[in-house]
Amino acid sequence: MWSLNDWKVVFVAVGLIGVLGFSLFSVVLFAQGFPGEVFSELYALGPGHMAEGYPFNVSNGVVYMVYLGVGNHMGGSTYYEVDVKFRNSTEPLSNATSGEASPLPIVYKYRVFLGDGNVWEAPLSFSLLDVGFDRNVSSVGRLDINGVVVDVEKVSSWDNETQGYYYQIFVELWRYNMTSSSLRFDSRFIGLWLNVTQSF
Amino acid sequence: MRFWAKLFLISVLVVLGVCLVHDVFGVSYQEAAGQVADADQALRNAFTSVVDAEQQGANVSLLLSRLGMAGGNLTWAEVALAAGNYSDAVSFAGVCRSVALSVDSDAAVLGNNAAVVAGNWWMMVVFSVVSSVVFVVVLFFVWHRFRRGYLKRLMGSRPEVTG
Repeated sequence: MWSLNDWKVVFVAVGLIGVLGFSLFSVVLFAQGFPGEVFSELYALGPGHMAEGYPFNVSNGVVYMVYLGVGNHMGGSTYYEVDVKFRNSTEPLSNATSGEASPLPIVYKYRVFLGDGNVWEAPLSFSLLDVGFDRNVSSVGRLDINGVVVDVEKVSSWDNETQGYYYQIFVELWRYNMTSSSLRFDSRFIGLWLNVTQSF
Repeated sequence: MRFWAKLFLISVLVVLGVCLVHDVFGVSYQEAAGQVADADQALRNAFTSVVDAEQQGANVSLLLSRLGMAGGNLTWAEVALAAGNYSDAVSFAGVCRSVALSVDSDAAVLGNNAAVVAGNWWMMVVFSVVSSVVFVVVLFFVWHRFRRGYLKRLMGSRPEVTG
């Protein structure tokens, strides 16, 4: 015959199993409700969809390609704008520390709507047009981005230190702010240095 | 008479031609820019509705992909506007606005449905918590009854000597 203590153990076990069973639903639902760290990611991959082979030495009329990607870890659906800009080595770049976007004009724009945990990727093909050289100065007249031709009219001097004429295509990530009903620079940008050569 | 008929026909064609030309090339920069701005606002409103629906528990992945399509059209509208192709800008902006408006209304419906489901969800949580408490109380009560009966039986039993 079982002792009273044995029965006590049986009752406690049944009680625990019962409470766990009944409250499992609530526990699972509440556990899902706690978000982790919130952030957005912006990245660029080379033409082989790897973090290598980025175009660097570029010449007039040749089409180059990279892939742009955005990851949403904000805990909810987010509206992003991916702004592509073009500059020479002396023009202002975005400042991630102060959160200021570059004042340069946008040459191409992607609008991205992403659910939480989702990633967006799209090709960015570009070609420098009307490239000219005069003594130690180079110029780029137009830029073809994803088939859209934009006047840029940029000039870059020969850089003795790094031996090249440098320009940069850079991409800024903007995020829609529901409170202010406006897009705001998300303090994230990536740049791709381009050395314009006469022949490649 | 024949001459007058020809003249009349030519006049009608000229008037029609002028009307058609106005329809094709008659979009001004201001008009196109206004349409693009309206489409941009419609897209933002639609996104706000989608987020509201999501917060009510709706699955909004399809709505987001439709917003992506609307956003693509808005980008093309801006490109056309910058290139001076105002009629294309108006056309792309129109597609964007129409998709955004449909997403807006679908998000409202989806959000309302999700709110009903969310109500059921809270019912389940309350049921789950209440039933746990009731189970513990009942078990405690049963344990006390059982313990009392057990001890009573134990006290009432007399030792027997056999053999």
